[in-house]
Amino acid sequence: MSSTDVKSRLESFNCYYFDKDVTQKFISFLMKKGDVIAPHKTGELSYKYEIVSDATEVVLNYSRTILPLKKAFMPPRETLINFNIKNNQYTKPQISTEPKIFFGIHSYEMQSIKRLDYSFITGLPESNYLTRRENCKFIGVAYKPDEWHFAGSVGIDINETDGFCLYFYPAKNGYIVFEITDEGKNLLDEFGEGSEVTDEYLKLNEDKFQAKIKFHHNRIPEIFTHVYNSKVWEDVAQKCVGCGTCNLLCSTCYCYDVHDEIELDVENGQRDRFWDGCMLNKFAEVAGGENFRDNLGSRNRHRLYRKFKYITNQSDKLHCVGCGRCSRYCPANISLVEIVNDLIDDYTKQQQKEIL
Amino acid sequence: MENLIFEKKDLYNPIISTITNVEQLTDTEKRFEIALPENQILNHKPGQFVQVSIFGFGEAPISISSSPTKSPLFDLTVRNAGRLTDKMHRLTVGSQLGVRGPFGNGFEVNNFKGKDILFVCGGIGLAPTKSLIDYVLANRNDFGRVVILYGTKSPSEILFSDEIEKWKKDKSVELEISIDRPDENWKGKVGVITTLIPPLKLDVANTIATIVGPPVMYKFVLMALKGKRVPDENIYLSLERRMKCGVGKCGHCQINDTYVCQDGPVFHYPRVKELKEAV
Ligand code: SF4
Ligand code: SF4
Ligand code: FES
Repeated sequence: MSSTDVKSRLESFNCYYFDKDVTQKFISFLMKKGDVIAPHKTGELSYKYEIVSDATEVVLNYSRTILPLKKAFMPPRETLINFNIKNNQYTKPQISTEPKIFFGIHSYEMQSIKRLDYSFITGLPESNYLTRRENCKFIGVAYKPDEWHFAGSVGIDINETDGFCLYFYPAKNGYIVFEITDEGKNLLDEFGEGSEVTDEYLKLNEDKFQAKIKFHHNRIPEIFTHVYNSKVWEDVAQKCVGCGTCNLLCSTCYCYDVHDEIELDVENGQRDRFWDGCMLNKFAEVAGGENFRDNLGSRNRHRLYRKFKYITNQSDKLHCVGCGRCSRYCPANISLVEIVNDLIDDYTKQQQKEIL
Repeated sequence: MENLIFEKKDLYNPIISTITNVEQLTDTEKRFEIALPENQILNHKPGQFVQVSIFGFGEAPISISSSPTKSPLFDLTVRNAGRLTDKMHRLTVGSQLGVRGPFGNGFEVNNFKGKDILFVCGGIGLAPTKSLIDYVLANRNDFGRVVILYGTKSPSEILFSDEIEKWKKDKSVELEISIDRPDENWKGKVGVITTLIPPLKLDVANTIATIVGPPVMYKFVLMALKGKRVPDENIYLSLERRMKCGVGKCGHCQINDTYVCQDGPVFHYPRVKELKEAV
């Protein structure tokens, strides 16, 4: 993709130049409007979304956070009801609808929230998730793909602005800030700072993805109608240890388990839900001990089919957003892109055989 | 960001209900009769289930074993098999528990009208089937023959012995029971449930067969029905899966792309054949 493509895509939006100082001032300005959640550095190469307490601590040139943004809308652990055992009464905890501004969000992450919206709205719209989604603004930032990002292969451009009200693009000593929506424009108008963008600043270079799926994203679901019995699943099973990291860190996985916890007074307690994952051994086990996906091949298959076929058949969207977390943090170095490419090879061979 | 305007639902709030009767059916199974508060009606279809919970002990799916014709009361038949069900077994009349539901699709009873019905029930599978049997018997003239096949391990595990006595006396019901491991007093048939199928004389084109039982049973029963040339379109199965939410979110009950808690637990056999992890 050439630089002009990026330019033409973003060019339709009004923009301003923010240097580093103005950017920090802008974050402080946002903090007066509600909680600002932004990436922070937590280690050498690790990042985390946290509520900003000091604008200077926000990191905008980061690869990816370890935990995805889903944690803001579906916390790793959340109380569904608080109960009293003695009198059999319960209350549902209040979920805050105070305004939240998510700042410095990558486009694949924004799209993961759109996928989760679909999952929590379809069928029975769940109040827990949807209440947390109220009063949220998202401000995006461009990123430089590392060896694990592959959002382009699932149809999400680096500069996809859908979902953002403002979009930050790195420029000399600062950012070019694009007004994506009226909401974003209003923020900038109220903030009142930022200077005109001169040609010197506007050097948009689209970075390239290193990791790539061999087929165009429109063809990915088609592969999955032919590879259910592929040998690739056995190969993956040989390496996978079934730790479930790929589920828990996935931007769009939302399966959960529910447990009751009792407090020390043995009278009160809560019903909590926790992130769960279909890669874990007991996930599909029923009371009698029968396990319907008792091997790692079938569990990996289920995980990928949920990303590329099952939900996709309904939503018309791939439910993998190419964040690369599952592959980056897999202790067995299993790469999702490699699995999909192996499946493509398998599928292509099958087709050649059919032609012969 | 555009507003997400939807009728948001509190999906996890149980309705605190009261046990109005408890009956010990076997050493390990009890039948609980439940009343929702203020005479509310559960409004279920035969074959549906509810999520039952006791605070501190969690929640589990339990199929409804009574017919809607029993409303507003309904029955849950529960095997003592885990922490929650063990606690449930220690509850008495007047105790409270949480109920969410009813969930799932249930049997499409209207499609069964005018047909002969063959109920194939293995073990605890008689409990969910009983909601349908009771319904059919309560509307007896709408249906043709009623054939109930019930297979269980030992005579002491026979559920609903009162009802079974009634069915035995009822001339409009054909009942066959087979026991895997008989004791010295058992005078009936011996063997797995599939042995009851070959001798049946069925008008297969006009017979609906329902199968509910432990996971291992389905393949063999399906084979036996195939042997009788029962058309696949006439067969319905109720499948068991781990169900945590009942509302199509938690993912535990999923078979390929299908949520058993929403699109099941009752499945038309032609659909089950498309699902690869079903039986
Ligand atoms: S993170 Fe890797 S090893 Fe762990 S379950 Fe996923 S694929 Fe298997
Ligand atoms: S499957 Fe992997 S790359 Fe795709 S969204 Fe989930 S964690 Fe990210
Ligand atoms: S029981 Fe949770 S999705 Fe079906």
